[in-house]
Amino acid sequence: MRKTAVRTTDVWKIYPQEPDPVEAVRGVSLQVETGDFVAMAGPSGSGKTTMLNLIGGLTRPSRGGIWIDDREITEMSDKALAQLRLERIGFVFQSYNLLPVLTALENAEFTLLLRGVAKDERRRKVLELFHKIGLEGLEERKPGKLSGGQQQRVAVARAVVADPALILADEPTANLDSTASSDLLDVMEQLNRDHGTTFLFSTHDPRVMERSRRLITLVDGQIESDKRRNHFSGSP
Amino acid sequence: MRLTVLLKLAMRSVGRNTRRSALTAVAIALGLALLVFSRSLAEGAYDEMIDSGVRMGSGHIAIQAPEYLATGKLEHRLEGKEVRIASKAVDDVLKESLLAWAPRLSVNGLASSTAGAVPVRIEGVDPERERIFSNIEGKLQEGRYLEAGDRLHAYIGTELAQRLDLQVGNRFVLTAQSALGDVEGQLVRVAGIFQTGIPQVDQSLIHIPIDTAREWLHTPDAASTLAFLLNQSGLTDIGVETLQQELENEPKIRVLGWRESSPELAAAIRLDSTGNYIFHSILLAIIALAILNAIMISVLGRRREFGVLRAMGLTAAETGLVVFLEGLFLTAASGVAGITAGLLFTWGFFRDGLDFSIFMEEGVEFGGSLMDPVIIPRFSVEQILISTFVIVTIGTLSSLYPALRASKLDVAEAIKFEQ
Repeated sequence: MRKTAVRTTDVWKIYPQEPDPVEAVRGVSLQVETGDFVAMAGPSGSGKTTMLNLIGGLTRPSRGGIWIDDREITEMSDKALAQLRLERIGFVFQSYNLLPVLTALENAEFTLLLRGVAKDERRRKVLELFHKIGLEGLEERKPGKLSGGQQQRVAVARAVVADPALILADEPTANLDSTASSDLLDVMEQLNRDHGTTFLFSTHDPRVMERSRRLITLVDGQIESDKRRNHFSGSP
Repeated sequence: MRLTVLLKLAMRSVGRNTRRSALTAVAIALGLALLVFSRSLAEGAYDEMIDSGVRMGSGHIAIQAPEYLATGKLEHRLEGKEVRIASKAVDDVLKESLLAWAPRLSVNGLASSTAGAVPVRIEGVDPERERIFSNIEGKLQEGRYLEAGDRLHAYIGTELAQRLDLQVGNRFVLTAQSALGDVEGQLVRVAGIFQTGIPQVDQSLIHIPIDTAREWLHTPDAASTLAFLLNQSGLTDIGVETLQQELENEPKIRVLGWRESSPELAAAIRLDSTGNYIFHSILLAIIALAILNAIMISVLGRRREFGVLRAMGLTAAETGLVVFLEGLFLTAASGVAGITAGLLFTWGFFRDGLDFSIFMEEGVEFGGSLMDPVIIPRFSVEQILISTFVIVTIGTLSSLYPALRASKLDVAEAIKFEQ
């Protein structure tokens, strides 16, 4: 039986705003198994990004519970949450969000650096990963000298290199052309397959939805549908 | 290990916007260079004023009768016994730091010639000692200064000479109340005429040989003041304290530092120094604002980046620390550059000084002392340490607020911010 990577129960996120508070997430309960490859779809404002932020501990729910690897995170201190993110969660953002002052290699190894992994080990892991995802030869380039697709692959490398249990990706292909999107999805599927990493990503992109193993659709902050797909080529 | 990562991030961030960082650093460095230079110039000017003031006045340390400072009267003098006790005490405790000393017997009186009579301050001096001690010989305009063996010679100021219509070689009469209470006269001859540029001095000061003064005023071996010149003015306070302890059982002897014996000079320096501190504080406030502005602009433009750092596992405090370190790096780099530039600039004027004669031809009177128009700036290790401490403090304080802002960031909002 698979372990549960993420579990939420009746999660709400309400932003106090005048004249009426905004209910971005309304009582979402879901469960994501370890090694799954899950897409969260829905129109703009449906609560996808907010759900990812809540699960990643970047914002706290107004009410409800969230568990990562069976650990309740809603009552954790900021410091404990930071440690949890460092050890268990990798993030991929829509706009890449690489650190502009670091090279591609330094960006990718940043999490390992924070974890205190020795230099040789860091370099070995990153170079191996760069080789796998087609970033060889770009190690010393700063983000400004990389294409959008290359930057996003570096962002994915940064998220997965430390073998986190969960990768949260917010619209990872939104700024990429169709070829770059397809390449990136290949990389993500490969990592999911090879490392058993759990992927949970938000998307509008029908091509991404098609390649997910499970598709959760959010509308107005609530789950409208939750379908498992059977033609998925990633981790079984 | 994590601190190394934060240091690396901070250092790279300072170097990221090279133009902005360089402009800020140059502004800070120039401000600091100006601060160091103007401070050095002020210190040099104060040294010059103190040196000139103590040489013309009562030295770094003066020994007098307790009431003399308030009255200036002949009756409040040190008798021969006190002069010997005080001289021995100075010899015992200050010998190593003593540059020169001179006894003076002073009295207020009247100088008269066929042209009229003028109230004057008559000082009986030891010509040989006075020549080393004071700089009055250097102000000579005509004739010569007093010499050992002179008896009935006088050294007078230009304005007094003018008012009494005196020239070198002319005779005139000094009149004052002697120690016996009688008004007595003394005929003297003009040996030389000086000009200090301080009207008060040029129209009223007269030097005559101390032996002549003692005989005339019936005060054998007495002195109004024993003036001591130290090889460093900074030794004054400790010198005064040591001498006071040494002479604590002598009720007829009072030891004074130059600040007490020349209160006008001390007050003038204090006033000028306060003005300087206000100017320097304004300059430092501008530097602080420049740092704050540079870091704040940098922080506000990098909200998303800080959000990403937090998402990757940096704590709020660590994120703030990155910003704080950036401020410190910027301060350190510009601080070192500014202090070095200030010192180099100061060094450039160290030998020949900075000539202000365009603003003050013959020098200017300051607190009863004549200030030379050529000021030699002075800097000290203490000043460098203080400047360093001040700039580190300013850098620290100016970086705190941006650091706090970065650490209080709402991560989800920050990431969403530029999407």
